[in-house]
Amino acid sequence: MKLHLRRNLAAAAAAAALALAGCSASAGSGAGSGDSTLTLGLITPVTTFDAADASWANESPYMQAVYDTLLHAAPDGAIEPWLATSWSYNADKTVLTMKLRNDVVFSDGTKFTAEAAAENLLRFRDGTSPQAAYLASLKDAKALNATTLEIDLSQPNPSLLSFLTQNCGLMESPKDFGSKTESTVPDGSGPYVLDQKDTVVGSTYVFTPNPRYWGPKSQQRYSRLVMIDYQSPTAMLNAIKGGQINVGTLIDDNEIDQVKAAGYTIYGEDLNFFGLILFDRAGTMTKALGDVRVRQAINYALDRTALLKAVGDGYGQVTEQIFAPTSTAYDKSLDSTYPYDPAKAKQLLSEAGYAPGSITLTEPESSGFPPAAYSLIQQELIDVGINVNYVQEGNATFLPDALAGKYSSMLMQLKAGPTTWETVSNALLPTSGWNALHYASSTVTQLAHTIQSGSSAEAAAAAKQLNRYIVDQAWFAPLYYPEQSFVSDAHTTLETQVGNAYPYLWNITPK
Amino acid sequence: MLLFIVRRLLSGIAMILAIAVLGYMLLYVGGGNIARNLLGPDATAATVAQKAHELGLDRPLIVQFGDWAGHALRGDFGSSWFTGQPVTTAIMTRLSVTLSLVLGATLVTAVVSTVLGVLAATRRGWVDRLCQFLSVLGSAVPGFLVALGLVLAFAIGTHWFEPTGYVQFSSSPAGWLSSITLPVIALSLGGIAAVTQQIRGAMIDALRQDYVRTLRSRGLPARSVILRHVLRNAAGPALSVLAVHFAGLLGGAVVIEQMFALPGVGEVAVTATQEGDIPLVMGLVLATAILVIMLNLVVDLVQGWLNPKMRLS
Repeated sequence: MKLHLRRNLAAAAAAAALALAGCSASAGSGAGSGDSTLTLGLITPVTTFDAADASWANESPYMQAVYDTLLHAAPDGAIEPWLATSWSYNADKTVLTMKLRNDVVFSDGTKFTAEAAAENLLRFRDGTSPQAAYLASLKDAKALNATTLEIDLSQPNPSLLSFLTQNCGLMESPKDFGSKTESTVPDGSGPYVLDQKDTVVGSTYVFTPNPRYWGPKSQQRYSRLVMIDYQSPTAMLNAIKGGQINVGTLIDDNEIDQVKAAGYTIYGEDLNFFGLILFDRAGTMTKALGDVRVRQAINYALDRTALLKAVGDGYGQVTEQIFAPTSTAYDKSLDSTYPYDPAKAKQLLSEAGYAPGSITLTEPESSGFPPAAYSLIQQELIDVGINVNYVQEGNATFLPDALAGKYSSMLMQLKAGPTTWETVSNALLPTSGWNALHYASSTVTQLAHTIQSGSSAEAAAAAKQLNRYIVDQAWFAPLYYPEQSFVSDAHTTLETQVGNAYPYLWNITPK
Repeated sequence: MLLFIVRRLLSGIAMILAIAVLGYMLLYVGGGNIARNLLGPDATAATVAQKAHELGLDRPLIVQFGDWAGHALRGDFGSSWFTGQPVTTAIMTRLSVTLSLVLGATLVTAVVSTVLGVLAATRRGWVDRLCQFLSVLGSAVPGFLVALGLVLAFAIGTHWFEPTGYVQFSSSPAGWLSSITLPVIALSLGGIAAVTQQIRGAMIDALRQDYVRTLRSRGLPARSVILRHVLRNAAGPALSVLAVHFAGLLGGAVVIEQMFALPGVGEVAVTATQEGDIPLVMGLVLATAILVIMLNLVVDLVQGWLNPKMRLS
């Protein structure tokens, strides 16, 4: 039996194809289309707009759109005035006095005062931001008058000014404290306000200019900001290739050629160090790690250049230290302390009394790092006589188990903060989170104290000494600083921000 | 009929309760240190403990579940631990995106499968073999590869469609259609084989029945015999397969939503599960369970309409 279905279906299909092909790219966000919309591609949505619990790094653009901070940081990390116009410390650096602007108004009409600033600082200290500990030394914050803020510290904090340029220094309207919508609807004094109608929480955030904004027009270059969270690197890459975003983060450096072919410019920034953390310097879990010769042998056993090429595709810079090049502790000469020398590694192990194969390291393995990194490191250590067993950890347990002190060593990528103190407090002190077994060293404690309390010259000298000590004592086996790549389209230019996972919003400008 | 519906609804409620208990236990056991996951590696142990206390994670499991269940029964599913957004709002905002995708894929699957199945059953020979080949090919290629190919060919290459993103229907129907077309195609290809085979097999069986010979001998047009009588009898089993496929599409939408950056429930489900965002995951689990249970009820009712014999059984 014959049907005439074919003819009818063919006609319908042709009509549909014509209709759909006409419904094309005008529905997009307008990246590069000539309007003043800035579309950013990000790899995480905002956790909360509650300034007391705010995150930073990849969430910094969301916060910078709607909030001001007490201070600003230039792309090279230099501290600049912002809501605070001037500041000074007392002699022992435990009291910071700041003069504040008197012309700032929050988006709800409330005036910004020193009282509001003090409340914000105390709330951050007592909140559950991942960086709440940055203000652990904040004893009190009070308003001396409407425009003078006094910050009292229990001990000097060399990175405080830098922290006040980040989430620690975010200023939210006190009227919004504790409101039901505090975490999803921001109330700040920043250049933009959240467009709740077009925002899909957890996915796409749209901002429009704040009509009450006090600041320079350079902070409101765009009539609309769209920030899109791309969970899939493929989706981000497709958005770039489709010209849908002005600025984005590149997860996989293998994509650089494709991105350049799409007409985008690549910018690199070394944010972190990637390598082994040798937690067990006292040898309580793995006796061998208590011997500095064993830890040094691990450093000699690893071919950093080859690992950067094989794992990082060559994007980055080999290093043997955990401090960022911008910090006062950084010392280029330390990068030649442990040249790749398996023979030297074997010699050190022998001197320490360990026969080949008698040391076994048990480390967590995460799907967050390339499998090649684990297998190559394992092979290079086996070659000198150290065995490595990997324990597969899920996303939910990898960090908690590592930070709970379950392992004597691990492969990790840690932030190399722009300031020395950030790294010291994060990883070297007995109370530091990334000193998971709470190893205490009197040398480190003494040098840390000088960094905290000494003069600039003393602190800088102590920082370099500390770095040398950490490298000589092989607390870590750093491999390289992986290069974090950012992209901008032909209509946009940007400056990367030292130590931050995303360029600062005001450093993204139209060409 | 009313008794049938009531019985199905009651069994549906029991199923939802069981899913809620099981889901909560699984999340609790597999969630690791949720507060640590929420705050990341830089937070101190003290901050993590504070967060855990704030979220009630330091209470016994049975107390946590009882608290959640008590609120859920009153319609309060809490707020996302990750974004702070009320769970109900989060789901309702995103459900329209996922339903656009899934319903669209189901419709495309139904239409294409019907065409291929009918052609295969009625024309047989090389047409039959070609239809089967095409449908199997569609299911053999993974959905994400299809999605990649579609994006490269029709979005990046030709700019006919947007490679990522979603436009609300209320903002622009044309834009909505443009943003949903490629994802729907990518999602639908996998199910076409199963439904096509079902329709083809059922049609072939039905075409052999005596009543078909009777209808033809009475001079009814072939189209009328096929579409009004044979297809209606063959549709029942295919409808059941389509219903199962719809439920499967809710899971399959996760990958497609991530690849096309569509702000649907699938996209947020992945993040929420990885983070251990229990309120949001439980809300999603229940929403999905309710959707599937209601769908099965509707399918049963439609089956009854299609085949009066089923109403009596």
